[in-house]
Amino acid sequence: MSASEVTAGAQPADASAGVVRERAQRGRKALPILVTGVVILALWALTSAFVDTLPSPADTGGELVRMAKDGQLFSIFGRVTAFMGICFAIAAVGGVALGLLIGAHPALDRGLSPYLAALQGMPTSMWIPVAAVVLGTSVFSLGAVVSIGAMPAVMLATRSAVKSVPPLLIRAGRTYGADRGTLMRHVVLPAALPGITTGLELGWSIAFRCLVAGEIFSGALSGSVSGTGIGSVIARSRETGDLTEMMATIMIVLAFTMLVDRLVFARVHHRLRVSRGLVDAGLPH
Amino acid sequence: MSSPVLLTDVAQQFAGRGPARLALDGVTLSIAAGEFICVVGPSGCGKSTLLDLVAGHTRPVRGSVVVDGAKVTGPGLDRVMVFQEHALFPWLSVRDNVGFGLKNAGIADAEREATVTEWLAKVGLSDAADLHPHQLSGGMRQRAALARAFAMRPQVLLMDEPFSALDAPSRDRLHVELQDLWQETGTTIIFVTHNVREAVALGSRVVVLSSGPGHIIGEVAVGLQRPRVVESDRVVALAREVRGLLDAADQLGISAPRGGSEDGHVSI
Repeated sequence: MSASEVTAGAQPADASAGVVRERAQRGRKALPILVTGVVILALWALTSAFVDTLPSPADTGGELVRMAKDGQLFSIFGRVTAFMGICFAIAAVGGVALGLLIGAHPALDRGLSPYLAALQGMPTSMWIPVAAVVLGTSVFSLGAVVSIGAMPAVMLATRSAVKSVPPLLIRAGRTYGADRGTLMRHVVLPAALPGITTGLELGWSIAFRCLVAGEIFSGALSGSVSGTGIGSVIARSRETGDLTEMMATIMIVLAFTMLVDRLVFARVHHRLRVSRGLVDAGLPH
Repeated sequence: MSSPVLLTDVAQQFAGRGPARLALDGVTLSIAAGEFICVVGPSGCGKSTLLDLVAGHTRPVRGSVVVDGAKVTGPGLDRVMVFQEHALFPWLSVRDNVGFGLKNAGIADAEREATVTEWLAKVGLSDAADLHPHQLSGGMRQRAALARAFAMRPQVLLMDEPFSALDAPSRDRLHVELQDLWQETGTTIIFVTHNVREAVALGSRVVVLSSGPGHIIGEVAVGLQRPRVVESDRVVALAREVRGLLDAADQLGISAPRGGSEDGHVSI
C-alpha cells in the first residue's frame, strides 16, 4: 500500500494507473512461483530418467489428460473439495467456539488443555480403525474422525491466542461499555484472529492427512462402485506397481492444497497483517 | 450536568498474588462537578489504583467510592478512562474506534456518525478518520483516544498518565488542547501523573500522594490563568511548592526519592 492510495478521493486517472501498476506488481510476484515450479519439474524429469519405476512428468501429464477426459480428475477434485470443505467448516466453527470458551474459563482450561495437547500430539489417523469398526467404513465415519480430529489443534491455538490478547485492550473494552458478549465478539476475537488463523491452518493440514489415511485404510471416499477416488488409486497402484495414476493424483491434490493456500490462507494472513500495521507500508510513525 | 466524586477513607490492596500489600490507605477526597484535579506522586503510590477504583475495575477493601450519589459497583459509561498507551483497537479505523463506546451505549447509527465526526474534527483528526491506529503518529493516536473518551460525554474522565509516552512537542500541544476541551465540556477530570509541572499546568487543584501505602499528604489549589504551559514561570514556581511537599514527606521516611527525572521518581 503506497501513501497515494491511502489518501481519500484519488483521481480517476490515478485509479486506472493504479490498476495497471497493481497488475504489473501481481505479475512480478507470480514470476518466482513459476520459476520454482519449472525447476521442480526439471528435477523430477531428471530423476525419472534414472529411476525406472518413477513416471516422468510427460507420462503423468498424459495421465492427467486422460483423467480429465473421463471425468476422474474432476471427480477426485470435487469429492476432496466437498469433503474437506464440510469437515473443515465443522472443525473450524467447533474448534474456535470451544477454544474461546476454554480461553475465557481458567478452570475449564486447566481441566481440558492437557488432554487436548495429548490428542493434538497423537496422529489423528489412529482413530480411523476405531471409527471404522464402531461407525462402519462410510464417508460419515471418516468425516467424523477428520472433523473431530482437527478440532484440538484449532481449540488449543484459539485458547493461546485468547490468552495472549493484551489486557489493556480488554480494559479499554470494559471501560467503553462492552459487556461479556460484546467483549468476546468485538475485542477478544479480533485481537486473537492472527493466532486463530495459524491454528486453522494447522487444523487444515491435520484434516487432510487424516483424509488420506482414511483412504488408505478403507477408501471410504472412493465410493464402492465407481472406484475413482484417492483410495482406489492407491489400491490399484499397490497391486500393479504402476505409479503413473498415483503421481497424477498427487498432482491433483498438490494443485488443490496450493489453491487453498494461495486463495484462502495466504490472503487472510496478508489482510490481517496489513490491517494491524505488521506490514511496513512506508507511512509515518 | 456533571456530579461530584467522593472517596471516603478508602483502602485498597495491590492486585496479584503474594502477601497483600496496601496500595492506598485512608484516602478521603471530594471532587466537585466540573473540577479538573491532578493527582501527583511517585510510582507505586497508588495513583492508578485510585483511578481503577473510580472506574469500577476494582472495589476497595475499606471505605466507599461514590460518583453522582451512587456507590461505584462496576465499570460504567459515565466514567471513562484514557490510558498511558493509547489502547485503541488496532483492527478498527479511527472512526470505528471513536464510535466503539457509543455503539455499546446503543446510540443510533446516524447520531453516532454525527458525534464521531464532530469529535474527530475537534481533535483535528477529520482527515485521518479512515486510517488505522498504526498509521498515526503517537500524538495523533492519543488524540484519537481523547476523542473516543470525550465522545461518550462522560461525567467523569479518568486519565492515567496519558501523555507520558509522548514526545515533548506533542505533549505540549495536547496540554493546551485538553484544557480547551475541558473548558468547553465542563467534564470532571481526574488526571494522574508523576510529572509535577504537568500536574500544576493542567489541574485546578493538585492532590499530592505519597507511597507506602498511598495517602494524601497535601493539596495545592492552582488559580493561574488558562491555558497554561509547563514552561511558564508561575507553573514552575508552583511546581516547586508541590515538590516541597513531596520532599517533606521524604524526610519523614516516606519514599519519594530526590534526584529529578529518573524513572519511577517524581520530576519537576
